[in-house]
Amino acid sequence: MDRRTFLARNAAVAVVPVALTTFSASAGARSPVRNPIDFKSNLPAPGDFPARWICGSESLMDNTDPPVQVHWYNDHTAILRQNKAYSYEAPFAPLYFGNERVLLLDEGFTTLRNDWDLRAVVDTCIVDWASRNGRDPASLELLVAFSHLHADHYAAVNQFADRPNTRYMGLTHEEMIGFWGMTNFPEERVTLDLGGREILIWGSPGHVVSEFAYYDSYTQILYTGDMFYRGRCYISFWEPWFESMKRLIDFVDTHPVTHVMGCHVEISKDGEDYPYGLTWQPNEAPVQMTVKQLRETYEFAKTITEPGIYFTGTVFLCNQTRSMTTIDVNPYRYS
Amino acid sequence: MPQQPPTDRTQPQEAGNARPSATSRTAPNGDLSHGYNPEGARHTDSAVPLHRTEPVVHDYRSEGPAPGRIAFRWAHGSNVAAKNRDPRVQVIQYNEDTFVLRQNVCVHWEAPFTYLLFGNAGALLIDAGATANPRYYPLRETVDALITRWEQARGRTSVPLTVALTSGEDVAQNQGVVQFADRARTTIVPTKLAAMQQHYGFSGNWPSRTARIDLGGRVIDVIPAPGTHRDGVCFYDPYCKMLFTGDLLFPGRINISNDGDFVSSLERLQGFAASHPIKWVMGGHIDMMFVPGKYYPRFATYKPYERVLEMAPTLIDDAVAYAREIRGNEKMLIGSDFVLFNGVSPDQRTKVWPEGVPDIDPPRPF
Repeated sequence: MDRRTFLARNAAVAVVPVALTTFSASAGARSPVRNPIDFKSNLPAPGDFPARWICGSESLMDNTDPPVQVHWYNDHTAILRQNKAYSYEAPFAPLYFGNERVLLLDEGFTTLRNDWDLRAVVDTCIVDWASRNGRDPASLELLVAFSHLHADHYAAVNQFADRPNTRYMGLTHEEMIGFWGMTNFPEERVTLDLGGREILIWGSPGHVVSEFAYYDSYTQILYTGDMFYRGRCYISFWEPWFESMKRLIDFVDTHPVTHVMGCHVEISKDGEDYPYGLTWQPNEAPVQMTVKQLRETYEFAKTITEPGIYFTGTVFLCNQTRSMTTIDVNPYRYS
Repeated sequence: MPQQPPTDRTQPQEAGNARPSATSRTAPNGDLSHGYNPEGARHTDSAVPLHRTEPVVHDYRSEGPAPGRIAFRWAHGSNVAAKNRDPRVQVIQYNEDTFVLRQNVCVHWEAPFTYLLFGNAGALLIDAGATANPRYYPLRETVDALITRWEQARGRTSVPLTVALTSGEDVAQNQGVVQFADRARTTIVPTKLAAMQQHYGFSGNWPSRTARIDLGGRVIDVIPAPGTHRDGVCFYDPYCKMLFTGDLLFPGRINISNDGDFVSSLERLQGFAASHPIKWVMGGHIDMMFVPGKYYPRFATYKPYERVLEMAPTLIDDAVAYAREIRGNEKMLIGSDFVLFNGVSPDQRTKVWPEGVPDIDPPRPF
């Protein structure tokens, strides 16, 4: 089986007629589920974010929050957020359910199941969803993918190594774009079919080379990874990043988007920078951003010509400043 | 008879423990050439008498450093901070009259060290930790228990306590002071600069003169040392021959707040070290790893490759050289045992690597 056959309507491999009826093992021949959920009407599917996410604590060893907060945005969409007392990176990880597949985007910064068992959390979500919808959880294929090639997004992959009916990305650029069947990264936009629920995926390099943007056509959430999130967007490569921003703008010009969502939050509601590595963010800003904020950031970015740290009002654009990762200063300085 | 090796008064050989580090002893089974009855034995109180009729008076006079060891590893946090179950306050008895306390890394990432010294007439607590809430960081409870045990061993009661800070403004060292606010027989050195200077009697001669804290036979020197904090001081213990330097000099990321003061203070310490024997320089934190020049970033809560706390006094000379190099330059400078940040973000990074220092990457923990 070609690695691309699990992608729907991919022109490059659309040689198998959709209506072909066969008993072969190919993915297209799987029997349709009974009473499928309709992911294509009454869009966008409503949903909500929590007023407050778990956000660490003053004393970490006294933190009693769960390792990950599981928030059901709606009946078919969960968003996971790691506890800051388990890792300062505390990334967010959406979990999208379709009729035949589940997509986990990003994982949290954990490696071993005894540190915290991401796989068990995901399995619990899948069992919950399946029981609510009268499905067999074992029948659902789990796809584990990540927004980009950084450890706080892929560290847990090996927890899924022996999980049945599961596919996950490899840890190289080649394997990542191959996983989505891309041959023309970053411009090519592919459509992933979760079983009635379509995810649009295209390249979004700039923070790192190997990064994607993900758009869920059901909730109409645009997931922008680490290239655009509520905090310090570390831009390693300005030109590709700016081009990726332009692709996002072109996308929101032509597609309805309810929320723009990044992987982290590193800023307070008042625009205060939470420095890199902080493990308690009691007043943190929401993870979701608006299309307007994305457009404003793009307009702001047009004016940037030099490396440096720029605050757009929504995010910090850290243009090629890995040597100066935060804007804060030594508070005890005197003359 | 083998020839005696030349003895260096600033780095004395300890009986059976030729090197001070617990993990790198060169004579783990003892060293016969030091003899069976070294001078240091007179510093240890005997437990032989069953009942004491009067308080033990300890003789804190000593030629070399009082015997003592840090024979254990510091708790260094855990990969998942929320699951850490190490003591909130780790106590290591350096010797019967000297204790080193460390705050749990997973209670506060600064994980400051606090020192408790006893003399015949009182105890001195140097620094007070980074967390005020005693539920998270029961410093007072721990210190009270240490004092009680010491009092019982010495046949004393009501030993007065002085709480003094290496910097009153440093929130990584002053937060625990509030826990001692209502403690009986306790003197808290004021944390505000002017009041602190007045308390020690520095008025007019700060920072050129030194002051003293007399614990009864053990007289601690207080040496003004602004540079990382405008109100910074160092303490010298002539019994253990230790210099307590707080944020001014420690194996970690040293944020310079005034580079002129920083150089002068280190030069003052250099001068002090020339006239006073120093076994170890003891700082307030550890950020460095045990490979040279590598360090943990701010907010790290798991530091398995941490360097040891104690610093050889020759490091003062290194620090002076580095401080002079960085004076007037807004940049960071990596040394083997410390990293200096002058006028830059505490998260500044650099590609400049010190010449002649091996560049070793320790393995990445989980």
